[in-house]
Amino acid sequence: MSEEALHAVIDDLGALLLFTMILIVAAGQIYRAIYAVSAQSLLIALAAAVLATATGNTDLWVIAGVTLAVKAVALPWVLHWIVQRMDIRREIEPVIPIAATLALSVVIVVASFQLTTSLGPVRQAIAGNALPVGISLTLTGVLVMATRKTALTQMVGLFASENGIFFTAMAVTQGMPLIIEIGVILDVILAALVMTILVLRVRSTVDADVADLDRLRG
Amino acid sequence: MTGERPLALVLLEMTLLVLAGPLVTGAIQKMKARLQCRQGAGVLQPYRDLTKLFRKGTVQADTASGLFRSIPVLVVAATVAAGAFVPVVRAGPPAFPLGDALMLLGLLALARFLTAVGALDAGGAFGGMGASREMTIAPLVEPVLMMVVFSTAIAAGTTELGALAAHRGTSWLLAWSAADFLGFAAMLLLLPAETGRIPVDNPDTHLELTMLHEGMLLEHSGPGLGCMVLASHTRQIVIVAVASALFFPVGPAGAGVVGVLVGAGAFAGKILALAIYLALVESSYAKLRLFRVPQYLGVGFVCALTALALRIL
Repeated sequence: MSEEALHAVIDDLGALLLFTMILIVAAGQIYRAIYAVSAQSLLIALAAAVLATATGNTDLWVIAGVTLAVKAVALPWVLHWIVQRMDIRREIEPVIPIAATLALSVVIVVASFQLTTSLGPVRQAIAGNALPVGISLTLTGVLVMATRKTALTQMVGLFASENGIFFTAMAVTQGMPLIIEIGVILDVILAALVMTILVLRVRSTVDADVADLDRLRG
Repeated sequence: MTGERPLALVLLEMTLLVLAGPLVTGAIQKMKARLQCRQGAGVLQPYRDLTKLFRKGTVQADTASGLFRSIPVLVVAATVAAGAFVPVVRAGPPAFPLGDALMLLGLLALARFLTAVGALDAGGAFGGMGASREMTIAPLVEPVLMMVVFSTAIAAGTTELGALAAHRGTSWLLAWSAADFLGFAAMLLLLPAETGRIPVDNPDTHLELTMLHEGMLLEHSGPGLGCMVLASHTRQIVIVAVASALFFPVGPAGAGVVGVLVGAGAFAGKILALAIYLALVESSYAKLRLFRVPQYLGVGFVCALTALALRIL
């Protein structure tokens, strides 16, 4: 695969990643956010496969497979399971209106594109728009975490944010050492497990969500 | 210059659009009926409705002014004129000075404004409600459409739709740049809103609580209503044609009758694909609450704005 074709494909995948991120921010129902984050992970796996064919780095194939299995299938399934287990019929509870969150996410996207242009040579070395796209995914994920009241949606935000970091790391380094990538993925799995257990336990003992835990009573 | 469109061709395309407009509505309704396991009316039903309406007499509210009578003609004229700006069978700039995409959007906005004025003029409660709702939605829809047009216009350096389509050439998805994906996503979100379909509006209902567009047509009757209905058919096919001109290249720019026929065939295929999309969306989603519509259109707006950002930055 030629350099230009690689740049074009990474650019296109970046645009689709941004689209899934917009869907996550705009999702009014938790199921939609989960499906969107699953689609996003699928695109990340696709990007890994594209980079693998372009660079001939076989580690990236492993990464693509693991990402597909863990982040695109297993984690969304876990989220889905929790939703059913907790019997959530409520819609997502935003702290500020979703329209305001959407506006903020546009600001983030534009700012990350604008700011990375000043990086000049660094950005030249990276395939396509991967750097600004990755940064905006990460920051928008943080935005989702900050503006939602329920723990589950915050988990979705965390996964999206992690996807952004992963995408940037992959594109910047053209494939990190396998051990680091596996470590990062294990981190995510562990975090998901801990959060799942915590959410379920908190729910079953005090019947409250994270938004209710902001004050300490003696 | 390749694929220049002389006056005769532009007029031919405009007529084609107006004639095919009801067919698209009929096809969408037929597909919807089949998806709901109904037999449904034939695809030619909208034509029969139109001929029936044009043969009927007119009844008018006592409170309506003289302007009310001329509203349907003005609306249909503005909409049909908008149809002239869309390339149908052949890409390329017209051979004579004609407006661009902004002119098209302006004419559609004019038609929308006149419809609302007519609804208010008749003095019916439903008309006023429909007009107020339509005018709430319109300023949310139009900027998004404009943004989508701009995001493709920046790449081509022109806002003339024929030249835009020609610039895109006959290459398919492979030649799409990153911004096109987001722009197309915004367009797909926008299509149901612009054509007055679920999840923004419901074209089949006459329940007062859910009407947007239909509410404004209640006071019209006979040929006037026929004009309004024809205008909404035309508006739908014009919007769909704009989407296909912006994102799918117009058919091969062959010369002569064969080229025109091939172009028309390709155009029919693209319109059919987008009509299937509309029918699927309409069958699988519920209508949004009115206060949820801004959020739905907000997604389109963000997509279009991001597409624009990707082009510029």
